[in-house]
Amino acid sequence: MDFEKLYKTYWQRIFRVCMGYVNNYSLAQDLTQETFIIVWKQLPKFRNESNIGTWIFRIASNNCLRHIEVENRMKKTTLPIDLKQETLVSVEPKIQFLYKCISELKEIDRIVISLELEEIKQSEIAKIVGLSEVNVRVKIHRIKEKLTQKFKDHGNQY
Amino acid sequence: METNIDLKNIWQQQKSEQPDFKELLEKLSRYKKSNLRKLAFTNIILLLTCAFILFIWFYFQPQLVTTKIGIVICVLGMLIYLLFYNKFSRNLKTIDSTDSNHEYIQNLNALVVKQRFMQTTMFSLYFAMLSIGLSLYFIEYTLMMSLFWACFTYLMTFTWLAINWLYFRPRVIKKQRAKLDELISAFNHLNAQWPEDKNNNDAQA
Repeated sequence: MDFEKLYKTYWQRIFRVCMGYVNNYSLAQDLTQETFIIVWKQLPKFRNESNIGTWIFRIASNNCLRHIEVENRMKKTTLPIDLKQETLVSVEPKIQFLYKCISELKEIDRIVISLELEEIKQSEIAKIVGLSEVNVRVKIHRIKEKLTQKFKDHGNQY
Repeated sequence: METNIDLKNIWQQQKSEQPDFKELLEKLSRYKKSNLRKLAFTNIILLLTCAFILFIWFYFQPQLVTTKIGIVICVLGMLIYLLFYNKFSRNLKTIDSTDSNHEYIQNLNALVVKQRFMQTTMFSLYFAMLSIGLSLYFIEYTLMMSLFWACFTYLMTFTWLAINWLYFRPRVIKKQRAKLDELISAFNHLNAQWPEDKNNNDAQA
């Protein structure tokens, strides 16, 4: 498996999942890089039992969930509050709004909806997260409803 | 009023500048080096201390068995601590980041709970062994002193040990516990997001 090819193919997708989780551009970039460091380390152990995409998304979502542990261990200094919500100025407001809404969901819901929006099959999402397919389906339905409602409440500007 | 907002389309418009592949490779090599350096540093410091203590043994040739036992207890204390430290660094690596999210969080949580127990126990053991070791070590040398100086030496040593045991040890333990408790509660918060449904296991297989 060519690592460079995986890096090029999956970078944007993994970035979006991380961005949905933390809604912070530079932090999401760091998490994406960390994900690829783990992928690089684990790649020799990858057996073709599962889809490589599912495998990478599993690593990425675990890395996001683990973020709190790493932060605790590294004793990172707290960022000033005004820097925390750093986003790219050029990003359209509706995109910013969607990512903001997602990052305010419960952690597992963030991962489930991010994977759904990345067009991962629901059966694969179930395997990644460790939920039953029924649970995933119900969750996705509820989260989409919630997000749509938020967009409407936000003035239906988009 | 619009009822179907194309979330997928909005989601996929988020773009990020992809760092150069070479940059990642550089980061990889830095990461490997820094990890190795951190582990090597703790090991080298404690092993050098052990070597120094053993050097004292061979250079000064203590006569009493208490001195030798004292040295052995001190060295053992440090080696046990080192063993635990290395084992924990390894344990952290053994957690499989390709597990499902649920299994991963459960494994991380179990590890942190274990670490909380081990850290406080090991730290107390380390302190206790150093204290006992030092007390035994001093017997031979205080026997050569006058009664006054012998008492003085022991008084000073025990005062220092008491300060360590009663002041510094609880402080370090409290700090470590607070850090780990924060993690445990964060993991519990995550864990609670999976329904307690045994059928979930089907999905994890």
